[in-house]
Amino acid sequence: MTKPIDMKDIARQSMSIKVESMDLLNGQIKMEAHASATYLAMASWCEQNGFFTSAKFFYKQSEEERGHMMKIFEFLVDTGGNPVSPEVADINHDYASIVDVFENTLEHEVKVTKSIHNIVKKARELGDIATERFLDWFVLEQVEEENTIRDILDMIEVTGTEGVGLQMIDNQVASWIK
Amino acid sequence: MNVIVASTYYTLYQSEKERSFYLDFGQKMVRMSLCQLLALRYKVMSIPIEDHFDGDLNKHGFEVLLLCNKEHLFVLNTYEILDLKQFVEQSFVALGLSAEAETVTI
Ligand SMILES: [Fe+2]
Ligand SMILES: [Fe+2]
Repeated sequence: MTKPIDMKDIARQSMSIKVESMDLLNGQIKMEAHASATYLAMASWCEQNGFFTSAKFFYKQSEEERGHMMKIFEFLVDTGGNPVSPEVADINHDYASIVDVFENTLEHEVKVTKSIHNIVKKARELGDIATERFLDWFVLEQVEEENTIRDILDMIEVTGTEGVGLQMIDNQVASWIK
Repeated sequence: MNVIVASTYYTLYQSEKERSFYLDFGQKMVRMSLCQLLALRYKVMSIPIEDHFDGDLNKHGFEVLLLCNKEHLFVLNTYEILDLKQFVEQSFVALGLSAEAETVTI
Protein backbone atom coordinates (compact mmCIF):
# COMPACT_ATOMS: atom_id res chain seq x y z
CA MET A 1 0.00 0.00 0.00
CA THR A 2 1.57 3.30 -1.05
CA LYS A 3 0.18 6.76 -1.04
CA PRO A 4 -0.32 8.81 -4.18
CA ILE A 5 3.00 10.32 -5.22
CA ASP A 6 1.77 13.88 -5.34
CA MET A 7 1.05 13.88 -1.61
CA LYS A 8 3.53 15.56 0.69
CA ASP A 9 5.40 13.21 2.97
CA ILE A 10 4.44 14.92 6.22
CA ALA A 11 4.86 11.71 8.20
CA ARG A 12 8.40 11.07 7.02
CA GLN A 13 9.27 14.71 7.65
CA SER A 14 8.17 14.32 11.29
CA MET A 15 9.88 11.03 12.00
CA SER A 16 13.20 9.71 10.78
CA ILE A 17 13.17 6.08 11.92
CA LYS A 18 10.78 3.18 11.36
CA VAL A 19 8.12 2.37 13.94
CA GLU A 20 9.47 -1.18 14.18
CA SER A 21 12.85 0.21 15.27
CA MET A 22 11.06 2.49 17.71
CA ASP A 23 9.26 -0.50 19.26
CA LEU A 24 12.53 -2.41 19.62
CA LEU A 25 14.29 0.61 21.13
CA ASN A 26 11.44 1.05 23.61
CA GLY A 27 12.00 -2.59 24.51
CA GLN A 28 15.68 -1.82 25.04
CA ILE A 29 14.78 1.15 27.24
CA LYS A 30 12.90 -1.31 29.42
CA MET A 31 15.84 -3.68 29.48
CA GLU A 32 18.29 -0.94 30.53
CA ALA A 33 15.88 0.17 33.26
CA HIS A 34 15.62 -3.42 34.41
CA ALA A 35 19.42 -3.68 34.49
CA SER A 36 19.64 -0.45 36.47
CA ALA A 37 17.12 -1.74 39.04
CA THR A 38 18.81 -5.15 39.20
CA TYR A 39 22.21 -3.59 39.95
CA LEU A 40 20.63 -1.48 42.66
CA ALA A 41 19.24 -4.67 44.19
CA MET A 42 22.73 -6.18 43.99
CA ALA A 43 24.14 -3.08 45.73
CA SER A 44 21.58 -3.63 48.48
CA TRP A 45 22.62 -7.27 48.83
CA CYS A 46 26.31 -6.27 48.98
CA GLU A 47 25.62 -3.64 51.66
CA GLN A 48 23.73 -6.15 53.78
CA ASN A 49 26.39 -8.80 53.45
CA GLY A 50 29.40 -6.65 54.17
CA PHE A 51 30.77 -6.26 50.64
CA PHE A 52 30.96 -2.48 50.69
CA THR A 53 33.33 -1.98 47.77
CA SER A 54 31.22 -4.22 45.57
CA ALA A 55 28.18 -2.21 46.68
CA LYS A 56 29.89 0.93 45.37
CA PHE A 57 30.62 -0.86 42.12
CA PHE A 58 26.95 -1.74 41.69
CA TYR A 59 25.71 1.76 42.55
CA LYS A 60 27.94 2.97 39.76
CA GLN A 61 26.70 0.27 37.36
CA SER A 62 23.11 1.09 38.23
CA GLU A 63 23.70 4.73 37.34
CA GLU A 64 25.40 3.78 34.09
CA GLU A 65 22.46 1.64 33.03
CA ARG A 66 20.13 4.54 33.63
CA GLY A 67 22.45 6.58 31.44
CA HIS A 68 22.09 3.99 28.68
CA MET A 69 18.34 4.14 29.02
CA MET A 70 18.34 7.92 28.71
CA LYS A 71 20.60 7.78 25.66
CA ILE A 72 17.99 5.69 23.84
CA PHE A 73 15.17 7.83 25.20
CA GLU A 74 16.80 10.96 23.76
CA PHE A 75 17.45 9.27 20.43
CA LEU A 76 13.73 8.52 20.15
CA VAL A 77 12.96 12.14 20.94
CA ASP A 78 15.49 13.36 18.35
CA THR A 79 14.07 11.12 15.64
CA GLY A 80 10.50 12.17 16.32
CA GLY A 81 9.50 8.90 17.92
CA ASN A 82 7.47 8.17 20.99
CA PRO A 83 9.69 7.11 23.94
CA VAL A 84 7.86 5.19 26.64
CA SER A 85 8.74 5.36 30.33
CA PRO A 86 9.34 1.73 31.27
CA GLU A 87 7.58 -0.41 33.83
CA VAL A 88 10.11 -2.40 35.80
CA ALA A 89 9.07 -5.58 37.59
CA ASP A 90 10.49 -8.78 39.04
CA ILE A 91 13.75 -7.53 40.48
CA ASN A 92 15.66 -10.34 42.16
CA HIS A 93 17.13 -9.53 45.58
CA ASP A 94 18.30 -13.04 46.51
CA TYR A 95 21.82 -14.22 45.89
CA ALA A 96 23.63 -17.22 47.32
CA SER A 97 27.03 -15.50 47.50
CA ILE A 98 29.11 -12.64 46.14
CA VAL A 99 30.25 -14.99 43.37
CA ASP A 100 26.62 -15.62 42.52
CA VAL A 101 26.09 -11.86 42.27
CA PHE A 102 28.86 -11.42 39.71
CA GLU A 103 27.86 -14.53 37.77
CA ASN A 104 24.34 -13.12 37.49
CA THR A 105 25.77 -9.82 36.36
CA LEU A 106 27.63 -11.45 33.49
CA GLU A 107 24.54 -13.41 32.53
CA HIS A 108 22.53 -10.19 32.50
CA GLU A 109 25.10 -8.35 30.38
CA VAL A 110 25.22 -11.16 27.84
CA LYS A 111 21.43 -10.97 27.57
CA VAL A 112 21.65 -7.22 26.94
CA THR A 113 24.35 -7.73 24.30
CA LYS A 114 22.19 -10.26 22.47
CA SER A 115 19.24 -7.90 22.55
CA ILE A 116 21.29 -5.03 21.10
CA HIS A 117 22.71 -7.25 18.36
CA ASN A 118 19.17 -8.32 17.53
CA ILE A 119 18.06 -4.70 17.09
CA VAL A 120 21.09 -3.97 14.90
CA LYS A 121 20.14 -6.89 12.66
CA LYS A 122 16.49 -5.84 12.49
CA ALA A 123 17.43 -2.22 11.73
CA ARG A 124 19.68 -3.47 8.93
CA GLU A 125 16.80 -5.55 7.53
CA LEU A 126 14.55 -2.49 7.64
CA GLY A 127 17.16 -0.31 5.97
CA ASP A 128 17.03 1.92 9.05
CA ILE A 129 20.60 3.23 8.87
CA ALA A 130 20.12 5.88 11.57
CA THR A 131 19.15 3.28 14.18
CA GLU A 132 21.91 0.92 13.08
CA ARG A 133 24.55 3.65 13.40
CA PHE A 134 23.15 4.86 16.70
CA LEU A 135 23.64 1.39 18.16
CA ASP A 136 27.36 1.27 17.29
CA TRP A 137 28.17 2.89 20.61
CA PHE A 138 26.11 0.28 22.49
CA VAL A 139 27.76 -2.63 20.72
CA LEU A 140 31.21 -1.44 21.85
CA GLU A 141 29.98 -0.52 25.33
CA GLN A 142 28.72 -4.09 25.78
CA VAL A 143 32.12 -5.52 24.82
CA GLU A 144 33.64 -3.38 27.55
CA GLU A 145 31.03 -4.24 30.18
CA GLU A 146 31.21 -7.98 29.54
CA ASN A 147 34.98 -7.76 29.74
CA THR A 148 34.89 -5.96 33.10
CA ILE A 149 32.68 -8.61 34.70
CA ARG A 150 34.72 -11.44 33.17
CA ASP A 151 37.87 -9.88 34.66
CA ILE A 152 36.23 -9.72 38.08
CA LEU A 153 35.16 -13.38 37.81
CA ASP A 154 38.72 -14.33 36.79
CA MET A 155 40.08 -12.45 39.80
CA ILE A 156 37.62 -14.34 42.04
CA GLU A 157 38.84 -17.62 40.67
CA VAL A 158 42.46 -16.72 41.36
CA THR A 159 41.78 -15.34 44.84
CA GLY A 160 39.59 -18.25 45.84
CA THR A 161 36.53 -18.05 48.04
CA GLU A 162 37.94 -19.73 51.16
CA GLY A 163 38.71 -17.89 54.40
CA VAL A 164 39.88 -14.32 53.83
CA GLY A 165 39.19 -14.71 50.11
CA LEU A 166 35.75 -13.13 50.16
CA GLN A 167 36.86 -9.85 51.74
CA MET A 168 39.92 -9.79 49.48
CA ILE A 169 37.61 -10.19 46.51
CA ASP A 170 35.59 -7.24 47.72
CA ASN A 171 38.68 -5.07 48.15
CA GLN A 172 39.94 -5.86 44.69
CA VAL A 173 36.68 -4.85 43.06
CA ALA A 174 37.89 -1.29 43.73
CA SER A 175 40.17 -1.50 40.69
CA TRP A 176 37.12 -1.79 38.45
CA ILE A 177 35.30 1.24 39.78
CA LYS A 178 35.90 3.79 37.08
CA MET B 1 -7.59 16.54 2.36
CA ASN B 2 -6.40 13.20 1.07
CA VAL B 3 -7.51 9.82 2.29
CA ILE B 4 -4.57 7.74 3.49
CA VAL B 5 -6.34 4.64 4.77
CA ALA B 6 -9.95 3.68 5.32
CA SER B 7 -11.32 0.69 7.22
CA THR B 8 -14.80 -0.40 8.23
CA TYR B 9 -15.08 2.16 11.03
CA TYR B 10 -12.19 4.58 10.56
CA THR B 11 -10.60 6.85 7.99
CA LEU B 12 -7.26 8.66 8.15
CA TYR B 13 -6.80 11.87 6.19
CA GLN B 14 -3.77 14.02 5.61
CA SER B 15 -4.10 17.77 5.38
CA GLU B 16 -1.15 19.26 3.55
CA LYS B 17 -2.26 22.79 4.25
CA GLU B 18 -2.24 22.24 8.01
CA ARG B 19 0.59 19.73 7.90
CA SER B 20 -1.39 17.37 10.09
CA PHE B 21 -3.74 14.41 10.06
CA TYR B 22 -7.42 13.88 10.69
CA LEU B 23 -8.87 10.69 12.02
CA ASP B 24 -12.54 10.10 11.42
CA PHE B 25 -13.91 7.94 14.25
CA GLY B 26 -17.40 7.95 12.78
CA GLN B 27 -18.86 9.80 15.76
CA LYS B 28 -16.21 12.47 15.64
CA MET B 29 -13.37 13.82 13.50
CA VAL B 30 -10.14 14.34 15.46
CA ARG B 31 -7.21 16.43 14.29
CA MET B 32 -3.93 14.73 15.15
CA SER B 33 -0.23 15.39 14.81
CA LEU B 34 2.11 12.53 13.99
CA CYS B 35 3.12 12.45 17.66
CA GLN B 36 -0.50 11.97 18.62
CA LEU B 37 -0.86 9.23 16.03
CA LEU B 38 2.16 7.50 17.56
CA ALA B 39 0.58 7.80 20.99
CA LEU B 40 -2.66 6.36 19.61
CA ARG B 41 -0.70 3.49 18.07
CA TYR B 42 0.93 2.72 21.41
CA LYS B 43 -2.40 2.75 23.25
CA VAL B 44 -4.19 0.65 20.67
CA MET B 45 -1.38 -1.89 20.45
CA SER B 46 -1.40 -2.20 24.24
CA ILE B 47 -5.08 -3.17 24.42
CA PRO B 48 -5.24 -6.84 25.42
CA ILE B 49 -7.76 -7.98 22.84
CA GLU B 50 -7.63 -11.62 24.07
CA ASP B 51 -9.38 -10.43 27.24
CA HIS B 52 -12.44 -9.68 25.13
CA PHE B 53 -12.84 -13.38 24.47
CA ASP B 54 -12.65 -14.28 28.15
CA GLY B 55 -15.82 -13.43 30.08
CA ASP B 56 -13.89 -13.04 33.34
CA LEU B 57 -11.18 -10.71 32.14
CA ASN B 58 -13.36 -8.27 30.23
CA LYS B 59 -16.99 -8.75 31.28
CA HIS B 60 -18.45 -6.02 29.08
CA GLY B 61 -16.34 -6.22 25.94
CA PHE B 62 -15.61 -2.50 25.90
CA GLU B 63 -12.46 -0.41 26.00
CA VAL B 64 -12.15 3.22 26.98
CA LEU B 65 -9.71 5.11 24.79
CA LEU B 66 -8.48 8.51 25.92
CA LEU B 67 -6.76 10.50 23.21
CA CYS B 68 -4.75 13.67 22.79
CA ASN B 69 -4.03 14.34 26.45
CA LYS B 70 -7.52 13.35 27.55
CA GLU B 71 -9.19 15.76 25.13
CA HIS B 72 -11.18 12.96 23.49
CA LEU B 73 -12.81 9.91 24.99
CA PHE B 74 -14.08 6.94 23.04
CA VAL B 75 -15.82 3.81 24.23
CA LEU B 76 -15.16 1.07 21.70
CA ASN B 77 -16.51 -2.47 21.40
CA THR B 78 -14.62 -5.59 20.39
CA TYR B 79 -15.32 -5.21 16.65
CA GLU B 80 -14.20 -1.60 16.69
CA ILE B 81 -10.99 -2.44 18.58
CA LEU B 82 -10.13 -5.26 16.17
CA ASP B 83 -10.71 -2.94 13.24
CA LEU B 84 -8.76 -0.11 14.89
CA LYS B 85 -5.73 -2.30 15.59
CA GLN B 86 -5.53 -3.30 11.96
CA PHE B 87 -6.30 0.20 10.79
CA VAL B 88 -3.48 1.73 12.85
CA GLU B 89 -0.98 -0.78 11.53
CA GLN B 90 -2.03 -0.13 7.95
CA SER B 91 -1.87 3.60 8.52
CA PHE B 92 1.80 3.47 9.45
CA VAL B 93 2.57 1.26 6.49
CA ALA B 94 0.77 3.74 4.21
CA LEU B 95 2.58 6.67 5.80
CA GLY B 96 5.88 5.01 4.93
CA LEU B 97 6.92 4.67 8.57
CA SER B 98 6.40 0.95 8.91
CA ALA B 99 8.12 -1.69 6.86
CA GLU B 100 5.65 -4.31 7.89
CA ALA B 101 3.96 -6.02 4.98
CA GLU B 102 0.23 -5.66 4.78
CA THR B 103 -0.42 -8.47 7.19
CA VAL B 104 -3.48 -9.15 9.23
CA THR B 105 -1.97 -9.71 12.62
CA ILE B 106 -4.44 -8.80 15.30
FE1 LIG C 1 23.37 -1.03 29.45
FE1 LIG D 1 25.45 -3.04 31.23
